[in-house]
Amino acid sequence: MLPPTPSIESLRAGDPQALAALFEIHADRVYRLAFGLLRERQAAEDVVQETFLSAMTHLAQFEGRSSLGTWLYRVAYNASLTRLRARPSEPLPPDEPEPGEPPLPRALVEWDQTPEEMLLDAEGRRQLEAAITTLPETLRAAFILRDVEELSTQETAESLGISEGAVKVRLRRARLLLREHLAEYFGARAAQKEGEP
Amino acid sequence: MNCEELIHYLSDYIDNGLTEKLRVDAEEHLATCRNCHVVLDTTRQTIVLFRETHREGIPVDRRSALFGQLEKAMAARRSGRGMP
Repeated sequence: MLPPTPSIESLRAGDPQALAALFEIHADRVYRLAFGLLRERQAAEDVVQETFLSAMTHLAQFEGRSSLGTWLYRVAYNASLTRLRARPSEPLPPDEPEPGEPPLPRALVEWDQTPEEMLLDAEGRRQLEAAITTLPETLRAAFILRDVEELSTQETAESLGISEGAVKVRLRRARLLLREHLAEYFGARAAQKEGEP
Repeated sequence: MNCEELIHYLSDYIDNGLTEKLRVDAEEHLATCRNCHVVLDTTRQTIVLFRETHREGIPVDRRSALFGQLEKAMAARRSGRGMP
């Protein structure tokens, strides 16, 4: 769940402390979402700047139907997608992920008992990066908000402008695709370790 | 519940989002199917690994600079609005 934010009245009144508090609470979260989608620090920082400026400029239009936090996410998500679409080499992220389920899991070696220091060594981290980068952006955004930022399904739905049912579908696909990617690598490593004397 | 159905409901099971009947069916299947149990455990582990490694925020040296830029832009807008 998102933490509470400064009151909309104090922000509308131009209270500098309210702006500082809003930035303090949400800037890193907005940055992580943007970086997760764009994979570039500078572009993610630009999205942070654009998000807060746009939010402060359009405060009058904020109707309070969602929380200020999910509203910021919505602005950041759209700004990130706009940047992605402008990249010449980038395929257009689909508005809706293609229907259907990911294939049934194939990699079935246990690796959840593998010590984390082994999973999170340099090569393990590279595998995490590779896995999340191959995920379509719409699935990646749902995964970041639900599983990394730990937003509720409702908050994620508000942030992405989709239904709660669509969040669950995207999350299911994202989790299974990421698991499959990691399982192929970590499973092979776990099996290799077992074979060692 | 068979393996295919279990995989379909796995994500909602992890989030405690299944109805009582589906939850019981899923647990009955998981008790006897090693493969699905492995998928459940490794999916949970996948979530934990990303949660632990993807919490990096704005680089420290950029954070205050970004806020400074924002304050400046806001001030410029306020003074701009006040001009005739």
